[in-house]
Amino acid sequence: MAVEIGPKAATAAYRKALERISGGGSDAATAMPSFGELVKSQLQDAVQAGRLAEQTSADAMVGKADLQQVVEAVTAAELGLSTVTAVRDRVVAAYQEIMRMPI
Amino acid sequence: MDLEQSLTIAGAGMKVQSSRMRVTAENLANAESTAEAPGGEPYRRKTISFGEEFDRAQQLGLVSVRRYGTDPSEFKSEYKPGHPAADEAGYVQMPNVEPLVEMMDMREAQRSYEANLNAFEVSKKMMQRTIDLLR
Repeated sequence: MAVEIGPKAATAAYRKALERISGGGSDAATAMPSFGELVKSQLQDAVQAGRLAEQTSADAMVGKADLQQVVEAVTAAELGLSTVTAVRDRVVAAYQEIMRMPI
Repeated sequence: MDLEQSLTIAGAGMKVQSSRMRVTAENLANAESTAEAPGGEPYRRKTISFGEEFDRAQQLGLVSVRRYGTDPSEFKSEYKPGHPAADEAGYVQMPNVEPLVEMMDMREAQRSYEANLNAFEVSKKMMQRTIDLLR
């Protein structure tokens, strides 16, 4: 039998291989950042906001920042942190739910 | 995020109202400040005006103090012969500060501040309630 060799056959084979990898492989979501990375980056943002809040409070102590700026920075830090922790708790709870599943 | 931006905007509103309060306090405190010697000018009432300030980086329409000015109205004249700043006829030039007007201004600053405070609080509450959906 004649084996077809050409760009058409090559793309078809490539597509088939791709389907096999993405269908059966466990790392289907490699294109997306992992949950750990997501939490890490979000937490870094929250820590950054917390540092800013601290800095602003210190500035206010020496009279360089306004009370409103302090409240604003602290509120932003607080809301950022509670968003991260809420998302984390939610995902961890979902994970535990899966772990408890009887196999 | 819009709600975070509204926090910034409300914060700017609170800031200008506290500046206004400062000016009012200054006027009230100096309501009786006369010149040191005859011929000198007493304290002149200060004014404040606000304007919109567009923050291009964050696309925010903030409010800011446009300028601090002085009230050009005439000084009051009081008969106080024993005063060090009295002229030959015994009259002293008194500041053009009207305590009643300052009180009104103060009340207005207070109410505007509270309005901004409420906007801040409501924005914060909206964000918090949204986050609470996850819990």
